[in-house]
Amino acid sequence: MSFEYHEPTSLAEAVALGARFGDDGRFLAGGTDLIIQMHRGKLRPRHVVSLHRVSGLDAIDANGAVRLGALVTHRALERFPAFQGRLRALVEGAEVVGGHQVRNVGTVGGNIVNASPAADVVPVLLTLDASVTCLGPGGERTLRLEDFLIGSGRTARRPDELLTSVRFAGLAPRSATAFLKAGRRRAMEISVVCVAGRLTLDASGERCLEARIALGAVAPRTLRAHEAERFLEQRALTAETLREAARLATAACQPISDVRASARYRRLLVETLVPRVLARCVERVREQAS
Amino acid sequence: MATSEPRVVGKSLPRMDGAGKVTGTAVYAADFALPGMLVGKVFRSTEPHARIVRLDTARARALPGVRAVMTAADVPDVRYGGALKDETVFARGKVRYVGQPVAAVAATTREAAEAALAAIEVVYAPLPAVLDLDAALAPGAPLIHEEWASYTAIPILHRDGNVCNRARIVVGDVERGFEEADRIFEHRFRTGMVHQGYTEPRAAVAAWDSSGQVTVWSNTQLPFEVQNTLAEILQMAPSKIRVVVPGIGGGFGGKLRVGVEHFAAFLAKATGRPVKVITTSEEELTAAYPRQGTVVELKTGVTKDGRITAKAGRIWFDTGAFAGSGPGVASVATLVLAGPYKIPNLHLEGFAVYTNKTNCGSFRAPSGPQANFAVESQIDIIADALGLDPLELRLKNIVREGDEGPTGQVLNAVGLEECLRKAAAAIAWNDRRPARWRGKGLACGWWTTTGGSSGVYVKINPDGTVALNTGAAEIGTAALTGAAQVLAEELGVDLADINVVSADTFSTPFDFGAQGSRTAFAVGNACRAAVDDLKRRVFALAAAQLGVEPEACRLADKHVLADGKRISLADLARLSQQTGGGLIAQGTFIAPPTAYDSKRVDGHVYPAFHSPSFHAHAVDLSIDPETGDVTIHKYVVAQDVGFAMNPTYIEGQIEGGVAQGLGQALSEEIVYENGRVLNPNLTDYKMPTTLDMPRVETILVQHPSLVGPYGAKGVGEPPNIEPPAAVANAVASATALRLTSLPITAEHIALALRDAGT
Amino acid sequence: MSKLALTLTINGERHEILTEPHRTLLDVLRTDLGLTGTKENCLEAECGVCTVLLDGAAVNACILLAAQCQGRSVLTIEGLARDGELHPLQRAFIDHGAVQCGYCIPGMILSAQAYLDEHPSPTEDDVRAALAGNLCRCTGYQKIAEAVLAVARDRAAGR
Repeated sequence: MSFEYHEPTSLAEAVALGARFGDDGRFLAGGTDLIIQMHRGKLRPRHVVSLHRVSGLDAIDANGAVRLGALVTHRALERFPAFQGRLRALVEGAEVVGGHQVRNVGTVGGNIVNASPAADVVPVLLTLDASVTCLGPGGERTLRLEDFLIGSGRTARRPDELLTSVRFAGLAPRSATAFLKAGRRRAMEISVVCVAGRLTLDASGERCLEARIALGAVAPRTLRAHEAERFLEQRALTAETLREAARLATAACQPISDVRASARYRRLLVETLVPRVLARCVERVREQAS
Repeated sequence: MATSEPRVVGKSLPRMDGAGKVTGTAVYAADFALPGMLVGKVFRSTEPHARIVRLDTARARALPGVRAVMTAADVPDVRYGGALKDETVFARGKVRYVGQPVAAVAATTREAAEAALAAIEVVYAPLPAVLDLDAALAPGAPLIHEEWASYTAIPILHRDGNVCNRARIVVGDVERGFEEADRIFEHRFRTGMVHQGYTEPRAAVAAWDSSGQVTVWSNTQLPFEVQNTLAEILQMAPSKIRVVVPGIGGGFGGKLRVGVEHFAAFLAKATGRPVKVITTSEEELTAAYPRQGTVVELKTGVTKDGRITAKAGRIWFDTGAFAGSGPGVASVATLVLAGPYKIPNLHLEGFAVYTNKTNCGSFRAPSGPQANFAVESQIDIIADALGLDPLELRLKNIVREGDEGPTGQVLNAVGLEECLRKAAAAIAWNDRRPARWRGKGLACGWWTTTGGSSGVYVKINPDGTVALNTGAAEIGTAALTGAAQVLAEELGVDLADINVVSADTFSTPFDFGAQGSRTAFAVGNACRAAVDDLKRRVFALAAAQLGVEPEACRLADKHVLADGKRISLADLARLSQQTGGGLIAQGTFIAPPTAYDSKRVDGHVYPAFHSPSFHAHAVDLSIDPETGDVTIHKYVVAQDVGFAMNPTYIEGQIEGGVAQGLGQALSEEIVYENGRVLNPNLTDYKMPTTLDMPRVETILVQHPSLVGPYGAKGVGEPPNIEPPAAVANAVASATALRLTSLPITAEHIALALRDAGT
Repeated sequence: MSKLALTLTINGERHEILTEPHRTLLDVLRTDLGLTGTKENCLEAECGVCTVLLDGAAVNACILLAAQCQGRSVLTIEGLARDGELHPLQRAFIDHGAVQCGYCIPGMILSAQAYLDEHPSPTEDDVRAALAGNLCRCTGYQKIAEAVLAVARDRAAGR
């Protein structure tokens, strides 16, 4: 596992190194995915470009719109005061990633670029219509997160690009988020299935204006359940409509059977967790109103 | 036994080795290092069953930093093993499981050793692989050991092809017993392969000296057995092999037998340098000594009021490519299948069967959880069918004081009824289904305190401290603290006055090893024997010094007291050193054999449970009917420990044993597919975390054994036994689902509920 | 492949190390510095026996490059006791019977230490959540949780 190690001290320097090494190099954030894959022999980069001395990548701005620097750790995300309220799902997703040790160094940017279909914070970001910004030698470009994620372990990041931030707009009024994860244990789990939801309700609190549902570990990449979302929008939120949304979400997923779970059980979990996540969103909107 | 109030035994005193462990100064085998040490690594088979067509190590040898590469050609052609000698250091001619050692390398760094492994060239010609019990037992099945008949084995074993032992208990006439029954119940159960999960990998450092002797620092639980096995493998006299245990980070039976010591020894000899070999998580989960998976068939006859008239059962152990502990485990299983019940007619068989998987071994109460899962699940099924309370059904049939065990042994100190009643009361058994999707379950069992001999030397130092020199290894249970408590009690000193030296085959007396819940029991009794011997010398010397009769002497308060006079042990030790060679004594203990009826057993390596313990577990849990998730509200263990030598550490054994038992019950399994492990890492081998474990309430029941120190019985293994059955029974109570396969995962529960139309 | 010259501050002491870039902090601690109190096992951040504190935060040393620790402060179990006095957590782990084989204990104590520094009044559930990244196979975690809670209570009471 030998490589050349580089420690740029500025974004420009990091990008230049990324351009120079291309696919022969990898950016190192927290290392909680990269180092393990290197130990297992899955990745053998000749150059590792550590980002820990590049300043400005770990900031969280949350004045209206939210901007997360790529090096924001899961721990920072968990603790950020502005996320404890309506954006609570960000905390719920972050706090189930590994143990404290992993959350203290693992970053949101690293997690996105690793593109595990079972990632926990990614579905929450998808429900927030997040976009990601990449910086390369040719400049910056911004893509929707949904377009950025291509497949298992694959993103639209070019080999010479560095993901620098994730952004999403502030929540509309009468909105809430929720996240639930299923696994065989209550900690240190890679999701068997995870579900994130975001609902915006109308003034009466009965009808859904906007719905977002994202599913983890049921497809090669984290999945938005578009049909289920469209079904809910403009509809009353009742036990029946939530169940129908769950049915549509289940129909949209393509789970595999592996040592963690069978496809059948994964479908059952989607069917079960989608209504629970959505009901929680409704509850949370109503709590805000009262 | 103490006639007055005990001062030291029975107290929850802090363990003696705690300070080193909390400060990180205690050295475990995985920490041990010597100057100039090389890194050893093992090259392992990637085929479950195949001929080795070509094995070429030339490229590996030529790599920078590589100092040795060894294969079967470089070591003596020896078959070793326990009851059955079928193992070789490296595969010869063919490989029998994915993970089987084929070669080993020693290099200057880990990276160089890994590069050497990658450079070894091997070509396999696959053979039909025997992937499971059905395949192994089918007529015309491929033989995993074509030459099985030529292997050395203890004569008592019944071996045939892929069956490497068949043990049997026969009592009375089961067919007549079934005729007497009003109802007959037949069920089949299945349990998975689970790993001991110790957090310290297996590790050994070997170094040869100029006189041709080798020292091996290892985290083995059985240093003397490893010494003997290495002697066979290296073809040397055991006295030229020294095995030292610096410290063990958990064993649970997985570190009994040679794992990496032989590789370290051979590589150190070949290179002339110390060599360290340490396993990876992947090696642990593919090529260690896990608990065998099983299939159990159980047929039980009962009268309509719930009296058991007959039981016939068979349990098959998938023991993997080599026998390992299989033959013995198959024997012990028959006693667990009988259970702590009065059953006049029994026909019970245990089979150890070869397959092309890792050779399995011993894991805390070997055969216990698997057989108990079947027995205790079926008891509940029977209770339910007869409309009887499962507690009452058990109480109607369990053994009591003076009853006979299945092989005719007379049972003394039977605390089972007390355990059952207390465990049931502690979860409010009178309200068995407090809410929808919530249920309570019970399970009970019995277990042994393994025999074998233990020797100690005890020396009183001139400063009044006491040296306890024992061949036993401390694996974490605090058994040596318990034994030292016995010593302190008998000598009239404090626990803090005792220093322990342990587990060195050169300088400590023979000990049968830290296995079978025997260490505190046997070493404690050896200490008592040593004190008896020591007292003679101490009193003789004191009598002369004080001018009294030796008979008037007694030990108290670090002194000898007699007729109103006293002299300190320290002074006596100083005197003795000057004039008599020092105050030192030896004590040996070997458990007296337990009488049983030998006509009842056949092919049986373990025909009676010595100083048996009895236990009952009770659990209160809820199910999420959609996801199948289990939430345990309360878990209670009532265990008859004979005498609680150190209650805190006994509770610790119970709490930890339940954790492993719940892991087997709910989440753990080494999953094989086509002869390969699908989850050879800790990401997907799911041991319970802090958030998965409920609090465990322990109730220590004490029916003193006739043999153990102060009446103690073995305590370490039993808590592993009952959790799977207790959980299965509670799940059945909560859902009306009877799950007969372990682990009982949320997926199994959820899908079974779906299939049942719930 | 060139070696890196690193200055690592471990338990308040500066160490000058010259090592290959791929070396992990765990490897450097155990092999180069002889600090074997930090343990090795899964080497994949799944078990927590390698837990150390990096600038006060619990991390898995097995997946941290030594190079990533340049200029940062590392605390291992060896650095916890002061002037021969056991740290209250070390004392409590012994007193509550929370130590069995002991292999998980250094990592467990450091995780607990980092947590208590920031959360002085935890519930048992809080403590368990804080230690979820540290596997123990011997104790079932109960006495470990009790020991940590006892230290928290003592601190709150000013003992």
